[in-house]
This record gives sequence, structure tokens and C-alpha cells, in this order.
Amino acid sequence: MTAPVHEYIPETTKPFLQEVMERSGQMLTACYQCRRCAAGCTVGDETGCFTPNLLIRTVVLGDRETALNNELVWKCVSCYTCGVRCPNDIQTARITETLKKMAKERHAQPLQPKVAHFHDAFVESSIRWGRVNEMEFMGFYELKNALQEAKVNNYEAIVDELKEQAKLGLAMFKLGRMHFGFQMAKGRKEVKALYKKAKRKRAASSDANA
Amino acid sequence: MEIAYYPGCSLQQSSALYDVQSRRIFEELGVRLMEIEDWSCCGATSAGKVDDFLAVALPARNIGIAEDAGFTEMVIPCSACYSRTLVAQQRMADDTRLKEDINEEIGKKVRGNLKISSILESLLPIVTAKDFKPKVKRQFRELKPVCYYGCMLTRFPYTVPVPDRVENPRGMEQVLDALGIKALDWNYKTYCCGASAAVNDNQTSLSLMSRIMKDAVARGANCFVVTCPMCQMNMDAHQNAFCEKNDIEARLPVYFITELLGAAMGIAPEELQLDRHFIDGAQLLKESEKDERKEK
Ligand code: SF4
Ligand code: SF4
Repeated sequence: MTAPVHEYIPETTKPFLQEVMERSGQMLTACYQCRRCAAGCTVGDETGCFTPNLLIRTVVLGDRETALNNELVWKCVSCYTCGVRCPNDIQTARITETLKKMAKERHAQPLQPKVAHFHDAFVESSIRWGRVNEMEFMGFYELKNALQEAKVNNYEAIVDELKEQAKLGLAMFKLGRMHFGFQMAKGRKEVKALYKKAKRKRAASSDANA
Repeated sequence: MEIAYYPGCSLQQSSALYDVQSRRIFEELGVRLMEIEDWSCCGATSAGKVDDFLAVALPARNIGIAEDAGFTEMVIPCSACYSRTLVAQQRMADDTRLKEDINEEIGKKVRGNLKISSILESLLPIVTAKDFKPKVKRQFRELKPVCYYGCMLTRFPYTVPVPDRVENPRGMEQVLDALGIKALDWNYKTYCCGASAAVNDNQTSLSLMSRIMKDAVARGANCFVVTCPMCQMNMDAHQNAFCEKNDIEARLPVYFITELLGAAMGIAPEELQLDRHFIDGAQLLKESEKDERKEK
């Protein structure tokens, strides 16, 4: 007898599905695989066969590894097209957003590290000053990318990336679309307090899940 | 009349022209935009990918500030800020514990009676009113725009009251109608430009934008009109790149709705900062008016 491809392991299958449903607020078990989401997915050409319905199925089957690391999770642009068309009101973007967070918590190497770096750098900048300073934030984003590439000695990639950004930066500068004044909110203490609370909540819920 | 105004980070920086235009045209329309005091970043599309609590808490602080100052309506021109703030408000309305949790940390508490408006919601009643017609001083009849809404104006990650049709919105067309400009029908109104993917997954984003461009060109459009600073920046700054890559010859200016409204009301192009486009928009505006003078 051959071993089944998908084995039901109650200790892992169920909690994974439950965690994704709880954190994304989406009823994944309602999906009946009609593929309306797949038909309209913005990044359909870019993700190949890994469509939203397939992602949902992967989570339902408890395949954590595939669910956390596939093209769709990291290429989904959160356009919410699939969600407004789903007959069961399932917002796949909220699922991909949840899976991105879960991947980070497990310190898994994301398939598209730059996507993770971008959102991290953005939020860090907004917490630091209460407002996002585009140039500072882009600097930290590129720094994160560069550190990652430096780890594998890929210095060519660093240079290429910086060249591209410098080209765009220069064009923006010429058009007066680069801003040199520094933005901040006096109430950034409150913003920091909200951030700390968010962290406490995350710690509490990961203890509960452990 | 006075309404609260949330500019957001991008309107203070790379899309400062949108801020300048918004203030100027509302003034012309008899509405004073009152920038709320000491606002902070809404978290944009990033906060939701990093932390759920934060995604609601960041816009909440701004809602509290506006409510505390006694405003009943707040206009948010940036589509991303609008979407995040509207969703945060709804989530707090549906979950009072979440609201209290956030209120504990902020000085100006959220109550929940502020009307949050997109720029189209604020403009529509004004420009469709009878007394608006005389304010239109210039006619751009040769303009053939396609209205590009993108994602954030009608599709939300959470159930909120959506002020327009989800897949075929009409708000921008209605504003242009009031200016005597006829927008073309097309298929990519609410398609996604890739948003931040233009930075962190450039190839995907260029491919999405090229599809938007191809349909616009095929329909015979000579410009885009948008409300979202992210769409504007992407379609404008990367247009040469995605056109060259896909053998598209045409180049189309990407106007903010405020630009066309301002120009039609006779506000000078310099005042509207029309020179800050990657793909020049000043020339086309001039031409679409010139042609018409010839007709006369
Ligand atoms: S549209 Fe909804 S029900 Fe249909 S396959 Fe996609 S997620 Fe499942
Ligand atoms: S939200 Fe993500 S999965 Fe859904 S259609 Fe858009 S890109 Fe595809």
C-alpha cells in the first residue's frame, strides 16, 4: 500500500487551519473551490498555478510548509479582487497577509525578502517619527536588502538595486517630487505606546498558541 | 463651510502637488479644508501585513483628533489613507473592546461619529449642484481620459459601506461630466497597478501596469485620471519603463482629478504644479483647449 499524500495529523492539521481562520477572520472551510477567485486574480500570470483557491486548500489540508512559502503569499498585491467576487466572502488577501506574519514569526526566509523588508521598514519608520519620511524609509529598506544580499556575498545585486533607485530618485528630484523637510508628529509617544501594545498582544497570543 | 482634512505622508512629500491642488480647489469651491492637528501616519498597506492591531490603531489616533476638534466630516484624498481609516473606524464600531483597548493609549478618544469621505464623496455633491456651472471657465473638449480607480477606493479588506459601484465605479466620470469632459469606457478601471510592488517586486508591477496602459491606448484615450497618489506615481514614474519593455509607443499623462477640476475652473497651471509630472501633462491640456478655439 502506498502512503497517502496527505495524512491527517490532528495535532498539526487542525491547529494550523484554526490559527489561520482566527487571525485572518476568514471562513476558509466555506470555500467550495469554484475558482472565481482564480479567474480574477491580478497576479495570476505571475504566480502560475498557485491560485487563491489552491492556497485555501493547502491551509485546509494543514500543509504548513507550502502555505507559508509559495508564490501567491509573497506576490499577492492585496488588491481584494478575489474577495469581492467570492460567493462565500472569503478575502484571500487577508489570508496571505496572515501567512506573511506567520512566516515572519517562525523566522522563515520569505520567498520574496524584499516584500517583507518593504513593509517592515515602512512600519518602523512610521513608528519612529509618527509619520513616514520617504527618503529615510527607502534608505532603511535598501539597507535591509543590502544586508541580506551581503550575507550571501551578492554584491552585484546590491549595486544594481541601488543604481535603479538612484535613477528614479534623480528623476524625482528634478521634478521637485523629492522632499527634504523632515516629517514628524509631536504625538509620536502615543504611536509608540500603540506599537508596544501591539507587541504585547502578539506575545500573549503566541504564548496561547504554543 | 469647513471640513476636517487628513493629508497623510505622501501628500506632504512625493505627491505634495495633490495636497496643493486639493486645498486650492476646495477653496475655490467654497470649502475650507482644516488639516487636523498633529496627525500621524495611517500605516498604509504595510501595517496590515505586519500587525493587525496596529493596522486599526494607527488610523484610530487620527479619527480621535478629528472628533475631538468637533468635526463631523473628514476628507482623505489619498485612496490608501482613506481605505485604512474607513476600515479602522468600522472595525472599532463592530468591536467595542478593540476600541477601548486603543482609546486607553491615546489622548483624544475615538467616539465613532465622524463621516470619513473620499475626495469623490466630498466633491460630488458640490460639482453636481446647480450653482457649479458658472465656475467652469475652461473647456477641454479634446481630452479623452480614462478614469483609473485602482483598488483602494471600492474594494476593502473588511465589510464597510462602499459609496460607489465596486467593479464599475462612476464617481470620477460624474465629476468630469460636470466639467464637460467625456471619459471613455474601458476595462481596467479597478485593476491593480501593483502598488508597493513597484518598489519591492518591480517586474510584477511593470507587467500589471502595461496591461492597464494597453487597454487605455486601445480605447483611444489620451490621458489617465486618478485619485490615488500611489497609482499616480506608479503609472507616471514607471511609464517609460513599462512601455519600452512592451513596445508601447504612446505616452499618456496621469492627472489627479483635482488637476482637471482646477484647470477647468481657471486656476493657473503653475499654481496647480502641473510641471511635476514625469509624463508632461501641461502640453495636452493646452492643446485640448486650442483645438476648440479653432472650431469657433
Ligand atoms: S471564489 Fe471563494 S469559494 Fe470560490 S474557490 Fe475562491 S475562495 Fe473558494
Ligand atoms: S488580493 Fe491577492 S490573491 Fe486576491 S486577486 Fe488580488 S493579488 Fe490575487
